[in-house]
Amino acid sequence: MSEDILVRPAIETPADAPLAVPARGPKLPLEGWIGAILVATLVLVALLAPWIAPAPPNDMDLLALLQWPSWSGEPPLHLMGTDHLGRDILSRLMWGARIACVVAFLAALGAAIFGTILGVIAGTMGGRVDWVISRMVELWMSFPPVVLSLLLMVALGTGVGNVIFAIVLVDWTRFCRVVRSEVLVIRTQNYVAAAQLMGFGHLRIMWREVMPGVMPTLITLMAMEMGIAVRVEAVLSFVGMSVAADVATWGQMIADARANMTEMPWAMLAPVLAIVVTVIGFNLLGDGLRRRLDPRLLARGDTT
Amino acid sequence: MSRVLSLRDVTVTARLGGVSVDVLRRVSLELDQGEVLGIVGESGAGKSLLGRLIARQLPPGFDVTSGALDFQGKDLVSQSERDTRQLLGRKIAYIPQEPSVALDPVRTIGWQFGRHLARLGVDRSSRRAKMVRSLEEVGLHHASAVLDRYAHQLSGGECQRVLIAMAFASEPALLIADEPTTALDVTTQSTIVALLRQMQAAHGTSVIFVTHDLRLARQICNKVLVLYAGDPVERGPAVSLFAAPTHPYTRALLAANPNVTGPRVKLAPLPGTMPGLKSLAGLSGCRFASRCSVADEACRIAPPKWRAVGADHAVTCSSACAFESAHISSAPLPDARVASGEPILRVEMLGKTFAAAFGRRPTVALEPLSFTVAPGEIVGIVGESGSGKSTLARLLVGLETPSSGTICIDDVDVTAHPHRTGELRRNTMQMVFQDPQSALNPRRSVADLVTQAMEVQPRTADRASKAAALLAIIGLAQELGTRFPFQLSGGQRQRVNIARALCNAPRILVADEIVSGLDVSVQAQLLNLLLQLRDSTNLAVVLISHDLSVVRYLCDRVMVLHRGHLVESGTVDRVFGQPSSNYTRALLDACPPDPPVEALTETQPGETEWT
Amino acid sequence: MKRMTGILRLVVPRLLSVALMMFLVSVLVFAALRLLPIDPIGAALPPGATEAERQLIMKEFGLDRPIVEQYVMWASNLTQGRLGMSINLRTDVGAPLAAAIPATLELVMAALAVGITLGVGGGLALFAVRGTAMEPLGNVVTSILASIPDFVWAIFGILSMGVWWRALPFIGRIDSGLVVHEVTGFMLIDTLVAGQWDSFANALLHLVLPATALGLAFAPMVTRILRSSLLTVILEDFIHFARLRGVSEREVLLKHALRNAALPTLSLIGVQAGFMFGGTLLVEAIFGWPGLGSLMVTAARGGDMPMIQGAALVYCLGVLLINLIVDMASLALNPRLRKS
Repeated sequence: MSEDILVRPAIETPADAPLAVPARGPKLPLEGWIGAILVATLVLVALLAPWIAPAPPNDMDLLALLQWPSWSGEPPLHLMGTDHLGRDILSRLMWGARIACVVAFLAALGAAIFGTILGVIAGTMGGRVDWVISRMVELWMSFPPVVLSLLLMVALGTGVGNVIFAIVLVDWTRFCRVVRSEVLVIRTQNYVAAAQLMGFGHLRIMWREVMPGVMPTLITLMAMEMGIAVRVEAVLSFVGMSVAADVATWGQMIADARANMTEMPWAMLAPVLAIVVTVIGFNLLGDGLRRRLDPRLLARGDTT
Repeated sequence: MSRVLSLRDVTVTARLGGVSVDVLRRVSLELDQGEVLGIVGESGAGKSLLGRLIARQLPPGFDVTSGALDFQGKDLVSQSERDTRQLLGRKIAYIPQEPSVALDPVRTIGWQFGRHLARLGVDRSSRRAKMVRSLEEVGLHHASAVLDRYAHQLSGGECQRVLIAMAFASEPALLIADEPTTALDVTTQSTIVALLRQMQAAHGTSVIFVTHDLRLARQICNKVLVLYAGDPVERGPAVSLFAAPTHPYTRALLAANPNVTGPRVKLAPLPGTMPGLKSLAGLSGCRFASRCSVADEACRIAPPKWRAVGADHAVTCSSACAFESAHISSAPLPDARVASGEPILRVEMLGKTFAAAFGRRPTVALEPLSFTVAPGEIVGIVGESGSGKSTLARLLVGLETPSSGTICIDDVDVTAHPHRTGELRRNTMQMVFQDPQSALNPRRSVADLVTQAMEVQPRTADRASKAAALLAIIGLAQELGTRFPFQLSGGQRQRVNIARALCNAPRILVADEIVSGLDVSVQAQLLNLLLQLRDSTNLAVVLISHDLSVVRYLCDRVMVLHRGHLVESGTVDRVFGQPSSNYTRALLDACPPDPPVEALTETQPGETEWT
Repeated sequence: MKRMTGILRLVVPRLLSVALMMFLVSVLVFAALRLLPIDPIGAALPPGATEAERQLIMKEFGLDRPIVEQYVMWASNLTQGRLGMSINLRTDVGAPLAAAIPATLELVMAALAVGITLGVGGGLALFAVRGTAMEPLGNVVTSILASIPDFVWAIFGILSMGVWWRALPFIGRIDSGLVVHEVTGFMLIDTLVAGQWDSFANALLHLVLPATALGLAFAPMVTRILRSSLLTVILEDFIHFARLRGVSEREVLLKHALRNAALPTLSLIGVQAGFMFGGTLLVEAIFGWPGLGSLMVTAARGGDMPMIQGAALVYCLGVLLINLIVDMASLALNPRLRKS
């Protein structure tokens, strides 16, 4: 062919692209940053608690029972007051943060791993395997989660490890469902078929083609799950079925303070606020991540 | 003859990211009662926007900044929103592009049509009767049943008929039809077009028919306006415009359209693509200048003006340049090849039946058929939706397992032991998928994608040079290698698709509807690319398409599928010239007639005579 | 007639599915608590019991038979309405359960009413301010509200309305002095039917704080999904086409967008209603509400296995039935789900 009509290499600018998705959108939106800061603060407090807590969490100052927060006067200062056993609330709050962190991260990670593995298997293999896993999820979800976690704690006994285990066993279904449907959608994409045509094995396709598409949703879900884990731990402590009675957790503090709610409301409000702020932090972070990473929202221009 | 619609130098400006862009520039047109005006252009030209402009439904951020828009003598631009709403649905009707999603999915057809009639003032007792009459008028004979159904229970063609019925129910003075047949099969398309003409004549409605299909415009329009990147480039009576297209873009457009009948001429597509919205801001002169073969400096600076070239026939151009001398080369295509050499691929009695599952009866997707493919052959598989052509493609490359029959590559049966013969199959046949958007992993760069097949091979050093070589073969600039799919246009993505399939130098390329949905010039570029590949590397291609003109242009042999059956096969000339099957004949008849080829090849208009 | 068979064809498989699930759940409930390392009768034995006494008690509870036989016995008892003897309460498990169920149901329904009203209102309001400066503020506020758990609302409610302002009661379902002639167990219905206006008003007041706490915990989710669905639907082609037909913006929103956006919203409400039914434990404990949650908490603390089993079964049945109802409602609203 003398005149190769097309070989004037098309140096079209990207502006010609019909898709309106911006390159790499705005960085994390504001609420994501707020959430990130809150979470970072939590982690920091949790890590440094043994050093920055004014008093050991179980130390009972019998001379200062149910004392209101005092910012001046002679030591020992109780910046947030004491509870009905004379224990410094601020310190207990900080030590409670440790439990909250550990539970949040490990439980979310555990549920994510377990749920994702099953979800990916169900989504990729289809057929009978998918049917079995889906029925399992359905069965699991017939149990109200609070009830189920309570039952599991009854069975397993108290302890941080058991709390984490219980949360993982209850919440994996959330991950499994979402991951499975994402995988199903991605599998219909032609690029997965193209990879198959190139002779790539199932594992490789799952790893290189499917997982990267699932990751954004997974990350968002994990952030949300951390918030949920903190809340569940608080519920369990409140009912008395969480960790051993002498370990300081926020839920425990609320339960303890209930009896003297009218005299020293701060003993109850402090842990309540701690829980609320922590959950808000995780949720805002998750929301921010979701807005940043969800291409459908980006296409809609919903990046507020 | 009263004037129904008149646009004079209308400019629509949009604010995009802080910059003002004229998305429609000085558009003028006139429409009299009973006329059909075609607005023709490729995607991004602004034709849909023009339709929305007339219906006063511009997207937010788009405003009319100059010019006059009159409907039946009244100014539409300054009219209040309330008055506009009075007109819409009554005097001005609209038919959208995708009929199946144009209706509320959770309401019955009857409910929606009924609400529409209520708006028109039809009283409750006569509504049902009127609806039934309207539906029967558009050819839906089980009208009562249709009214109780939902949109998803009707086919695309049926939905479009409902929409047409709703549009004409108010006896509108103006109907805007925005690509009403693009989403439909060829045979359905021709019936809908015929229906529109019939209704238009019966009700005396003026129609604005927006389309990218030139042949369709020529078939049904009285007048035509051609748009390019928001600029009107040529307007005139359909007959003279297609008999003597003057503007280089119009001529290029016609030259890029393969014909279904007549001699086979090599397509001459314009290089490059239409500038996108964002790049329009910097272009003050003629927007076509960068692709125009006779453009000069003046063209890029001075805005184009209308110049008459015949009765009611005008073009826009920046300078009084010698655009008449712009000619399109047209070499005839070499004759279709006759198979030479041993076939690479031999298919015997290949069939596929999908098993019953949960209440679904077993469906026969493909009745057993046989064919061969020799090196360098281009075989076309033609059919409408549901014909089984996609199933056949998937069977060939191994994405589906056949229910019967065998596939042999170099006389090795690859269906018997798919694992053992997998490598042979992969190295011989590769597939290019239809939808370039879902065919490329959005998280991988272009260079990564085209060399994806090399991932299983150990050495990585070669990948970069291989990527460069592949990009050069398919005609993409090297710098696009680091881009991601969302940064590429549809045509570019399709090229990446092809390059990926070519990575391991397969001998057969299975191309599943690879040019559908692409603009005419982009389509022509890709088709020529395939021809070039065939000529240089003896690549064989199995081309699956619903578009007969594409198949005729590219293929040596063709097979026609209908509902899973092979109804006809043979050389392209024979099948298209003397079809033996009724179905093939119906397909050919449904295609709009081709404009005369001679119109493009003469350098001086007016010098030729033809009928 | 054709419609009847059509409806039956949709309903029957789902009912069967519920039955199957209940069977599986019962097996699980039975097995899990039997096989787990809790001593089933530990709480029933007086301290210092001898082995012989222990064996006697075990025989009394039927715990010496093979496990499958135990299940069959248990299941057949179930179908006859006998759920076993509560170890702690020393009465038949059925009676306290039956008394507790209406209490929880009444609470949940009131909470749903509050939550749906607030949630839908919020969703519509957020949708109305889209594109304006109020929108990001509204989003952040919704996010924050969504993070506050039900027991926190409960505590705030008690502290503000019950202790500092003394406006609302916060213990139990009704003041102890008032007598109610119980028929259904639903205090509002019973008092209304019997014409006891004072008691009705009192019961209503008692319902306010706990129902609001639960409702507020669930409303932000409804707000979010309604807003999100509306934003998606408003961009759909059929909305655009309706406008092109001259349909007014008001009609577009009310008759088309809302109907379509209701579908995912309804699904979410259904799922959350199921969670709420099983999640009243804390709120019931805080308010002293004599419902299933309180029973469950006491049973769990005391290791009262028959009660735990009974309550768990009731919970699961409740969740399955709620899912079934939501499923049916979705079918009614979304024609695309009905296979024709």
